[in-house]
Amino acid sequence: MKTMINRIRNSEFLTFNEVLRLKVAIVTIFLFIFVTLSIPLSSNNTFASDVDIFIPIGFALLLILTMFLTLINLNRWAMHFSIYTILGITIFYVGGSNYFYGYILFFVSLTVIIFYQDIITYLIFGGGITVYGIYYIIENGEAIVGVNSTGVEFSSLTYQAILIGFYVVFLIQFIVSDNIYEKMNNEWVRMNKVLEKYQSFSLQYLKEHLEDNEIDPLYKNIKFQQLVSELSVFINEFFEEDADKIVEVVEFYFFLHDQEVNQIIIDKELPLVTRKYAVELQKYLINSRSELVSILFDFATLFKSDKQFQDTRYEYSLEKLFNNKIDKLLSLAILYKYLKTEVTQYDRWGKVARVLTHEEITELLVSKEFREFISFEQVNFYLDNKELFEMHL
Amino acid sequence: MKQNTNKYQYPQLEKYKESLELAHLKSKTLIVNTIVFIFAGVILYFLIELDTGISVILSTMTMFIVLFIINFAFYSYDEDLYNNLKIAMYINTLGVYSIAITLILRFQTPSIFTSLFLVYAIISIYQDFKAMMISNFALFFTGSILIIRYPDIFKLIGNEDSQTFFILVFLIAFVLLLSLSSYILIKRKTFFYNQLAKIKESEVRNMELLLEIQKINTNKDLDSEEYYSSLIKFSKELSKKIGISNIFDRKINILRDSSVLTMQEILEKYPEYNNEEILDLMNMELEINNKMRKIGIKSSQSYGIKVTRKEIFSESQFKSFNHQGDNKYVMIIAFVTFYCLLKIDKPYLKELDEEKIKDILYNSEYFHRIDRDIINIYLENNEVFDAIVKDHLEGK
Repeated sequence: MKTMINRIRNSEFLTFNEVLRLKVAIVTIFLFIFVTLSIPLSSNNTFASDVDIFIPIGFALLLILTMFLTLINLNRWAMHFSIYTILGITIFYVGGSNYFYGYILFFVSLTVIIFYQDIITYLIFGGGITVYGIYYIIENGEAIVGVNSTGVEFSSLTYQAILIGFYVVFLIQFIVSDNIYEKMNNEWVRMNKVLEKYQSFSLQYLKEHLEDNEIDPLYKNIKFQQLVSELSVFINEFFEEDADKIVEVVEFYFFLHDQEVNQIIIDKELPLVTRKYAVELQKYLINSRSELVSILFDFATLFKSDKQFQDTRYEYSLEKLFNNKIDKLLSLAILYKYLKTEVTQYDRWGKVARVLTHEEITELLVSKEFREFISFEQVNFYLDNKELFEMHL
Repeated sequence: MKQNTNKYQYPQLEKYKESLELAHLKSKTLIVNTIVFIFAGVILYFLIELDTGISVILSTMTMFIVLFIINFAFYSYDEDLYNNLKIAMYINTLGVYSIAITLILRFQTPSIFTSLFLVYAIISIYQDFKAMMISNFALFFTGSILIIRYPDIFKLIGNEDSQTFFILVFLIAFVLLLSLSSYILIKRKTFFYNQLAKIKESEVRNMELLLEIQKINTNKDLDSEEYYSSLIKFSKELSKKIGISNIFDRKINILRDSSVLTMQEILEKYPEYNNEEILDLMNMELEINNKMRKIGIKSSQSYGIKVTRKEIFSESQFKSFNHQGDNKYVMIIAFVTFYCLLKIDKPYLKELDEEKIKDILYNSEYFHRIDRDIINIYLENNEVFDAIVKDHLEGK
């Protein structure tokens, strides 16, 4: 239970799959409560006694199946089975008794489906249970009319309006949150890719710096290799006594640095386990722009730049940065000059040593992506005067 | 020691997160108000059809109108819009609950009781932690009080035994499930705001790091004088071409002077410009300001980047030493290599002492990027780690 609470508290750091697993676990606990409650409540039912015995047993079996599916990491299947269980429980409760608590289960079912935050599941199963709820009210509306109600008609209409409202409002919430989430994620992935480009340049400069100063890269340093090996063995001792295997994997890790890793991965002559390790270790090589290198650069940025936040800190559009027309033109000229004189591209030998040509800059400036930096008017100005740009900047 | 994973967060994040959130808060406020408006319309229809009398209709509709006026006022007042909309959100939350409770007490039927659930759904559109807390408490307390204090509400015509105990149990389960659902959803949403804000700041810092490493490698800096001279030539020819007097030179001279003069001196030397105009212009300065260089770097690298839908939802986008499905050995080696690199002097980052590394790994999101067992082993045995490093790298 403590682990589960901790996981809920840190749920933002979990992967999608882990979050789904956590959600299934939570829903399972609630379903267990509802299944258990069905035993004392069976006395209110109009079903035959054998139905009252066998149906809860069936639900219990479904719950066991759900738990089994999460154990073998089939979380999406587990999610579906938990939804089937709550739908079954709802139909069982409202079908067998005419009490208001049974009606609340329509909302509980929708909440369970909402909990999984899957729009298709919500549309299908949520829509299904809402339609069933409406049908139930139309057919059995008189059974759940309050003593203070003015009549069956208004009572049924109120039930229906609120149930449909609940479904529709959560559908809107889904669409809003999905839309925001997708936009943010899209922007984030795009920026991640740009960031990787900067980091590749940084790494390339560092490699050149080592070459120019005739310093061996760190992965070739025996002391460093021994250090990584010994610390790895130390940690591994907490999991298993045999140190040989991890030492072998460490050796393979450093061996990979001098190899064409992709060739190893696709080489079907090699044992599967070797190729699998190559795939996994590739992410952590220190001589390419790997995840480890990105994390290291990110870590280093914690100690850089302490400038205060300004509204323009993340603004890169010349149109938005400058209000004055003259400033906009001057900044465009500076940007052109920068692209034309500063190295921003790899040359044919993989070194960051090439500048953009006038033609490449023109192609860049008129491209759709560049609207992030300059306005359409600025592009037109550039096209009208591009000879001056080329000649004097 | 209590863990604080925000200790090493970039200090610039909060302000930017606010501006990110503001854009969404505006649209959510409009959506919620539209739904409340429809809600009001449906209620008005019911009140008229039920022939409840003009006083009931007027009092109920007045509550809605007051709510709309408050929302409109907060939305229109531009100063500190973020906090205004937050206040409007809390007022909306309490307001719609008040209206629902009034209706329940007025009609005392089980069907109108479910309007509390609808109100909860409307407030959930905000996806705001505090609003959800208010909503959860409001639903739980008002629901429970109504069930306990007004059990007659739940008495049915055909069945006078209202089973209030089970209604209460079902309500508690319902509220708990909703609370957990919104808690997890809001946490993940906040995490994404955080990630997006973080990557914006990370981009600025990575560009600065790139410029720093570039300088280490090439041993030279950008020749700002060459830029200004070219600009002078360019602006002269441009003015000639379009047939105007050279209006650029003074500004280029300000750029030149800004690396040697103080703001006051610039204002005295160029009295035709005010403080704000000079500050704007400073974004172009090349000697001490990196803004134009960053625009240059970013614009040269952002070209041709495509994002597929599959990538958007891929977990592999998160860089960590804790990828699901990776072998434990791989996770260990990845973490150990990273740790060792922190202990070694690099051109862009000096070696870090053990206490600092431990503090950062424990009190930052890096804690969650490492396998839980591995990070715990490190945190419990970091002196041993440090000793092993010293043994190997002594004299290095």
